[in-house]
Amino acid sequence: MSAVKQREEIPPGTLEMLILKTLARSQPLHGFAIAEFILETSSGVLQVEEGSLYPALQRMLLKDWIAGDWGKTEENRRARYYSLTVEGRKQLARELDRYARVSRAIAAILQPV
Amino acid sequence: MQLRRRIAVFFRRDHETRALREEMALHLELRARKLHQSGLAPADAGFAARRQFGNAAVYQDQISAIWGWNMWERLLQDLRHGIRMLVKAPAFAAIAVLTLALGLGINTAIFSAVNAVMLRPLPYPQPERLVSLWEETIHSDQRFSSGGAPVGVKGGSARTTVSPANLADYRACGAFEGLAAYDSSPVNLTALGAPQRIAGESVTWNFFSVLGVLPAEGRPFLPEEDRQGANLVTIVSHEFWQQRLGGAAGALGSSVLLDSKPYRIVGILPAGFQSPQKLGLKETTEVYLPASYSNDLLTSRGDHEVNGIARLKPGVSVAAAQAALSAINARLEKQFPDTNGNFRAAIAYLGDDLAGGVSYSLWALLGASGLIVLIACVNVANLLMVRAAGRRHESSVRMALGAGRLPLIRQLLTESLVIAAAGCLAGIVTGRLLMIGLTAIAPAGIPRIDSAGMDWRVFSVAAGLALLTGAIFGMAPAWQASQVKPVEALKTAMRGTGGASQVRWRMALTVAEVALSLILLVGAGLLLRSFSTLMGVNLGFQTDRVIAMNINLPQVQYRDGQARLQFFQKLEERVRSLPGVQAVAYANRMPMRGGWSSGIQIDGDAENEYSPDFQAVNPGYFETLGIPLLRGRSLTAQDTDRGVAVAVVNQAFAHQLLHDRDPIGHTMQRGPDAPRISIVGVVNDIRRKGKEGQIKPEVYLSAGQTSLYPVRLADFAVRTAGDPHLLVSAISREVWAVDKDQPLTGVETMDELVDEAVAKRRFQTLLLLIFAAVAVALAIVGIYSVLAYSVEQRMSELGIRMALGAPPRAILGLVLRQAGVLIAAGIALGVVGAYGLTRFLQDLLFGVKATDWRAYTGAVVLLSAVAVIAALIPARRGAHVDPVVALRQE
Repeated sequence: MSAVKQREEIPPGTLEMLILKTLARSQPLHGFAIAEFILETSSGVLQVEEGSLYPALQRMLLKDWIAGDWGKTEENRRARYYSLTVEGRKQLARELDRYARVSRAIAAILQPV
Repeated sequence: MQLRRRIAVFFRRDHETRALREEMALHLELRARKLHQSGLAPADAGFAARRQFGNAAVYQDQISAIWGWNMWERLLQDLRHGIRMLVKAPAFAAIAVLTLALGLGINTAIFSAVNAVMLRPLPYPQPERLVSLWEETIHSDQRFSSGGAPVGVKGGSARTTVSPANLADYRACGAFEGLAAYDSSPVNLTALGAPQRIAGESVTWNFFSVLGVLPAEGRPFLPEEDRQGANLVTIVSHEFWQQRLGGAAGALGSSVLLDSKPYRIVGILPAGFQSPQKLGLKETTEVYLPASYSNDLLTSRGDHEVNGIARLKPGVSVAAAQAALSAINARLEKQFPDTNGNFRAAIAYLGDDLAGGVSYSLWALLGASGLIVLIACVNVANLLMVRAAGRRHESSVRMALGAGRLPLIRQLLTESLVIAAAGCLAGIVTGRLLMIGLTAIAPAGIPRIDSAGMDWRVFSVAAGLALLTGAIFGMAPAWQASQVKPVEALKTAMRGTGGASQVRWRMALTVAEVALSLILLVGAGLLLRSFSTLMGVNLGFQTDRVIAMNINLPQVQYRDGQARLQFFQKLEERVRSLPGVQAVAYANRMPMRGGWSSGIQIDGDAENEYSPDFQAVNPGYFETLGIPLLRGRSLTAQDTDRGVAVAVVNQAFAHQLLHDRDPIGHTMQRGPDAPRISIVGVVNDIRRKGKEGQIKPEVYLSAGQTSLYPVRLADFAVRTAGDPHLLVSAISREVWAVDKDQPLTGVETMDELVDEAVAKRRFQTLLLLIFAAVAVALAIVGIYSVLAYSVEQRMSELGIRMALGAPPRAILGLVLRQAGVLIAAGIALGVVGAYGLTRFLQDLLFGVKATDWRAYTGAVVLLSAVAVIAALIPARRGAHVDPVVALRQE
């Protein structure tokens, strides 16, 4: 049994960006896989209440950033696989850009004198 | 894009919700398995997975908010809730919906009649540019300078037909694209089966182009066909072609015999075409003939004979056209002072003009049905408030538990709208049924009523009314609910007593209801009094067992008065010998069928001219119609052109024109050079125009003295010993024995003629009576429900009073006093309202003032009586309450 790691809340507004980035890196994923990917890639630091993924996914579906197609898992279970659209790719670029600017600004402030 | 997706999602929302649930379930399962693999016990793994996932229900809510259905979901939820609440209270729902159905149904029916008769455009192209044109007299009193009672036309102006001689001048006024004239001119159709008299119209050549209608086959009339001596041509209706000619292909160009002359058919009108005169009437004009006015007529400006119809030039208003006509009239007046001094042309929109006769009563009925809808609204509002009071406790609890005021109000309003929608549907169905009944019993002569139906106007008015009523009656309870103070409401009682303001509201509604019904009752009472006054009017002649008919002899065979007289003398002789015939009359016109009037001088006095009605009658006329001779002698068979010119007059003639002097021995002349006619007898007054007609001075000339009268003998009547209908075929045979080609028309008993004349009034009265009955019934339900509820609410108070020794009589008085105050206030308000509103009925009344005290008293007494009875039922229940039971309820 592994020790319980220190877990952090995802900063507000970044969940969508993380999902977009996750989908940009790989082939279509279902909801659980996206959650797993974020959890593992962040070495378990970023903690999401996993259910909150789904409202975000629905919002993004409506905005046409991602597409959802039903397929089968390895165990032959029905699951919705999400993939990035052209619009989503543009949105990701915008978000990354914004995030970079914000974190640069924050870093500049936090820079030890 | 987003909206489209949203809508797509909305319609698949069950599917989408299921999909979402599946996704989440899979997620939980996969997480649980993963946790299990990392060493957790299966039960713990499931639990931990759920914890890590969060509250699935909350996320689902969030998602449906994202999908944007919340508003709709809530509306649907409210609707479902509303319908459920109504289903749970079927009696309440039924009463509310029925009340609305009745109110809306009556309105829908009356409005569809108004729509058909007055609002729907006329069936001609660009009907808004069509006007009818007539002439009217001005300074009419100058013509009748006698010292007696007013004679002839009453009031400032009287409408008359147009003089064809003036038409050319009116055309030149520049406001019209075209001005046509038409006049009904029935003709005898022969050589196509039995001889028949059919509806025809003589029209100027441009009649169809003014209406904007072209014959479906053939062509319209040519200008040169509209002249004396032109070829005889006719344009026939589609119905004539189909029914009389069997739709024969060769009909165009063939000839038909009209008044014994061959007319070539040059045009067949489109199916459904109706002349403006006959719009919506069952009888259609079958043949149109060129008017071909004679040169005499075209130069005689004093002969007013035809109806005018014109099409305004685009952009020209009625007022502008009227101004242009007035300028023409001013010129004509100077040019021809004798004939045009008293006349001017007037125009009005054709549609308004055609509806003119009935529009007034239809508006009155629409107003009355509007009052009924108001009463229905008040009633339903009352019911809803009683219900809302009953649910006060529920509302308070919900508010105490944190429900907002807005959702509460929204829910109550939704319930009201459910009721309104159901009422609207039921109302449209009711209206349709009422409309069918209405057209079935509507008297003849209301233009276009038979085509009344449901169109978009009727539907939108019904729906608009329903929405409005829903808002009106829904507002009161909703507002009430929003005023609920949960703490106080919960404190005061477990059962809602309805706060003081609620009680005031309901009382105000009841008062309004009583007042509205009183207004309707007074209106109905006034019409009923008018009708009974009318029924009591003595016509002055006997109408029973008299059958009348019209025998129009064509000019071709019967060239002059003598020829026509001989026909009728022969016919009289033959008919008199039929068994069951008591007396035979012929005249230019029988009573109820129009007549003729002429200017006269009395005893050679050229200063004063009078205008009595004239009739040319045979000696048997007075006996047939039962008009008693009062003085002198009656007309006899010896009063022919060879004898002295004689006349019989009525009492009104003696009274008004001779100032009660004995008329016998006086003479009259129809002009300075006309023969002097001696008055030889006086007969009883009769109302020639029926019960609503005035008694006018009458002169009866002898039909045998054909040189004295210019009109044609055309009406025939027989007094029989038994049922007059049985003699019709025998009389027809005698007519054909004299002339085999001669049709009979308008065969009706005098009773029927008199009855038809009052049919419209009877219809009106009946409708308003029904309306008043509905209003009173609704008011009774209203009073009953309010008092019943109030007694229910005060049960414990009444119980305490009785336990303390109050006798049942005192309790009864207590409740009745409360009712009495409401009823009295309502009646007082209603009397004021009726006084204000019924003056609009004045034109519909006959022999009764709009302020007739009997109608008011009757309405007040009737309404008070039924209201007190309605109050008595709950009052008695209150008086017989068992104090123990009443107190235990607390």
